[in-house]
Amino acid sequence: MRKQSKQLSRCWVFLIMLLVVLLSGERILASSNDDPLVQLQKSIEEILVILQSEELKTPEKKDERKQLVLNVVNRMFDFRAMARSSLGQSWSSLTTEEQDRFVGLFASLIEQRYIGKIDAYNNQKVIYKDQRVRDNKARVYTAIIDKDLEIPIDYSLEKGQGKWLIRDLRIENVSLIANYRRDFNSIMRKEQFVGLVEKITEQLEKSEM
Amino acid sequence: MNQFKAKKIIAIQAYVTFFVLLHTGTCAWASDASDLSSNPQTDVIFKTDGPASGAENDAWDDEENWDDEWEEGETIADPLEPLNRFFFHFNDKLYYWVLKPVTRAYSAIVPEDIQISVRNFFDNLRSPTRAVNSLFQGQVHDSSVEVARFVLNSTVGIFGLGDFAKDVLDLRSTREDTGQTLGFYGAGGGFYINWPFLGPSNFRDSLGMVGDAYLNPIIFLDTSNEVIVGMWTFEKVNQTALTLGDYELFTETALDPYTAVKDAYQQYRNGLIKE
Repeated sequence: MRKQSKQLSRCWVFLIMLLVVLLSGERILASSNDDPLVQLQKSIEEILVILQSEELKTPEKKDERKQLVLNVVNRMFDFRAMARSSLGQSWSSLTTEEQDRFVGLFASLIEQRYIGKIDAYNNQKVIYKDQRVRDNKARVYTAIIDKDLEIPIDYSLEKGQGKWLIRDLRIENVSLIANYRRDFNSIMRKEQFVGLVEKITEQLEKSEM
Repeated sequence: MNQFKAKKIIAIQAYVTFFVLLHTGTCAWASDASDLSSNPQTDVIFKTDGPASGAENDAWDDEENWDDEWEEGETIADPLEPLNRFFFHFNDKLYYWVLKPVTRAYSAIVPEDIQISVRNFFDNLRSPTRAVNSLFQGQVHDSSVEVARFVLNSTVGIFGLGDFAKDVLDLRSTREDTGQTLGFYGAGGGFYINWPFLGPSNFRDSLGMVGDAYLNPIIFLDTSNEVIVGMWTFEKVNQTALTLGDYELFTETALDPYTAVKDAYQQYRNGLIKE
């Protein structure tokens, strides 16, 4: 009788342990698929691995390194949504061709800013603090530790086709999109869309030299 | 003159004692002070006492910011635009022709660890400013943290060169200043001002800078203006050395750098006031 109860309790312990393992396993799986923070972290870590690779730091590999980073960056951002939101109300006044053209130019501008940061990278660390999810929108709060100073960077993301894509980022509370919107609008008001396209093209050519 | 100085020192001692005592107490004032925010636009978020945990920070996610894609944002009054633009270009040239070369030379001689210590030193001198302004905004806990930081870092941290309070005790600094206190009580930014040498600001924050200057312990040194300007320049060079490249990247990837800087300044300050 006693033996039986001992066996029974062992059986229970085993069952509970199994349950715990299964449940936590499921949670880990669910978080890795759905969490905006986890997805963002994966992409950022991917970039950091490229940046830290000693092999890619040589001058001959400079272009390769740049391209590898850009490949990741292009998967992270929803450039179309960002471009639309950076134009604000003017977006709807453009034809579809103009919109497509603008999205391309806008993406290049963002890339330019990111690429500029590549050369400045000096083993800064990224910390992931918190996330907030509401339906298909999310905010992820991160920070970069640069020379003993914590610089907060908050990402706004939106889920589309099962993936979280970046729609805006705020560095020290300064929103990239809001900043570009102000910048673009001041030009649109004076020189319309044609002037804006001209300015962005000029800007992109400047950096290629 | 000496009597005046002595009075000031006594006042500071009283203040320090008061807050070191308060540091252990509870923070009832902060919640009372929430009645003060009569201006709905400022939408001030009060930090609760104690370390911020994820669950308590729901106040951050201000509803309006989730769907702001069509929002135009408040425009910044800029009646001085021609003059501001002139000084923007002046500062820009000053950066490329003077500040950057000087900073390059400085960086070549001074190692990064020392640069960080120098930054800590100047940052520590701003502790009294932050303490007073946190207090004015009803954030008693933050204020007492600043006082504790100032006392500890000036002594154990050796004149503020090290950040003992943060590294060992995890006492983190807030970034309050007089301009933010004015904003807290509902003062709008007023018109935009781009000062020569000092850079972007607005009417409110320019008044704030005067207030901050009076709260900086440097004034107790009773030195000449040349020394103060010299120290300020030194700080500026050191700061530039630690952030070299940021200014270029931002202004060179903007279409109209003046507008971009003006907007970034406003967003940055509004963010700080909301904190």
